Amino acid sequence: MLALEKFIVPIGPQHPALKEPGHFEFAVDGETVTSVNVRLGYVHRGIEKATEDRNWAQNLYLLERICGICSHTHALCYSLGVEALAEVTAPPRAQVIRSLVAELERVHSHFLWLGVAAHEGGFDTLFMYSWRDRETIMDVLEGLTGNRVNYSANVLGGVKFDVDEKQRAAIQRGVDYLEERTHHYYKVVTTDSTFIRRTRGVGTLTTAQAEHVGVIGPMARASGIARDVRVDAPYAAYNLFPVNVVVETAGDLEARFVVRLKELLESYRLIREMVDNLPPGDLTVRMPRKVKEGEAISRIEAPRGEAFYFIKSNGGEKPERVKVRTPSLCNFMSIIATAPGHQLADMPMILAGIDPCFSCNDR
Amino acid sequence: MNFQVATMLSDILKSLFKRPITENYPYERRSTPDRLRGQLAWNPEKCTGCNLCSKDCPSNAIEVITIDRKAKRFVMEYHADRCTYCAQCVQNCRFDCLSLSHEHWELAALSKQPFNMYYGKAEDVQTHRKKLAESKMPKPDPVTA
Repeated sequence: MLALEKFIVPIGPQHPALKEPGHFEFAVDGETVTSVNVRLGYVHRGIEKATEDRNWAQNLYLLERICGICSHTHALCYSLGVEALAEVTAPPRAQVIRSLVAELERVHSHFLWLGVAAHEGGFDTLFMYSWRDRETIMDVLEGLTGNRVNYSANVLGGVKFDVDEKQRAAIQRGVDYLEERTHHYYKVVTTDSTFIRRTRGVGTLTTAQAEHVGVIGPMARASGIARDVRVDAPYAAYNLFPVNVVVETAGDLEARFVVRLKELLESYRLIREMVDNLPPGDLTVRMPRKVKEGEAISRIEAPRGEAFYFIKSNGGEKPERVKVRTPSLCNFMSIIATAPGHQLADMPMILAGIDPCFSCNDR
Repeated sequence: MNFQVATMLSDILKSLFKRPITENYPYERRSTPDRLRGQLAWNPEKCTGCNLCSKDCPSNAIEVITIDRKAKRFVMEYHADRCTYCAQCVQNCRFDCLSLSHEHWELAALSKQPFNMYYGKAEDVQTHRKKLAESKMPKPDPVTA
């Protein structure tokens, strides 16, 4: 009778393996995980409700602070939605600068993920060195926008700052160095035998499974689904600078490493093209204080996948409703699909593989 | 399978002969970028007291107090502890009165008091602070009075 009972290993909400709070219940048979239960919502801050109490411009900075890693994503998605409602279009130069900062942010986010995932796999050398190199892009962002995180690059109707010759040189220097390092890390994660034993064939999500659970972003692209908002519904300047979608078919942890590292190379190409082909013109257009009554949906490709905003205006100075759905929510389902059958020791790696962002998810 | 280990050993060996990547702050300081957003600076000469800066401030960090609009006497109360350094106020100002300094950014303090800053002419600030002190003065106790 005892043998039939499930033994559950609870992890979190406070646990050394988790950088942010989340609760996971792993049912185990010996060392093998048989089922997973996920419980989220520990970092709910009521941001969506708080937006209803602030004006359109103030919300830009509140929403930017949903996430420290992909802050520009939130500000950009919100700005695009509000501008669509107000029937205002940011000037072309502002659109390119918005995309430029988005790509720089993708680079820093993917480097951050590379370090965290390597750390979860016990490869702390890769963690330390990738984070050392990440400082390059943080310095570029600081020089360009004035802040390492929460860049506040957007205003409603444009951007705050221009890219001058000095910034251009700094961006190119940073990207050149990081490209060389990315090739090196690509070689490390695809050849290091000890590391491959932790990633190859682990947490495999087949294309059919990926479609079924509805994963998005690099997770979907590692499972053979070419889904990218920058291509499917280009926003900001992505119609001028088309993106080549990186797709891998293996669906395991190694494929997730490969997809994200190849995406870095694609981002470098886009960044170079953008700084070389900045259209001339203004940075902002005038934005009305009151936004026309109506509803708008805005989608953009965050480093982790599709971020989605629903914005409703009643014609006043404040929004009536702002709904945010971040990519982590869609990707959490993949843990439930892939974890059973794996060793308990693989769980941190599988969890880190989706690049979870709890504070984005809970808001 | 081709068996390869210690693929990052070359990085480690190279680092042995390099200076540490970390900096010995506060003894060593690198210069801050020109666009760094630090403490708010206000030029009262051009200010018209329109309050557009405080309207869009996401954290209610600034208040422009009008002492005499005709004589252009304004005092700005700036709460550096509330400020998120987003520069929306700088963007909103039509007369270029506001800027965020890239030199004054080390604003840590042990008490709350240094975070309340008053900008403006000394006499105007004094008038404002006097009014503030008066309004905060406890009313006389009706029993003892």
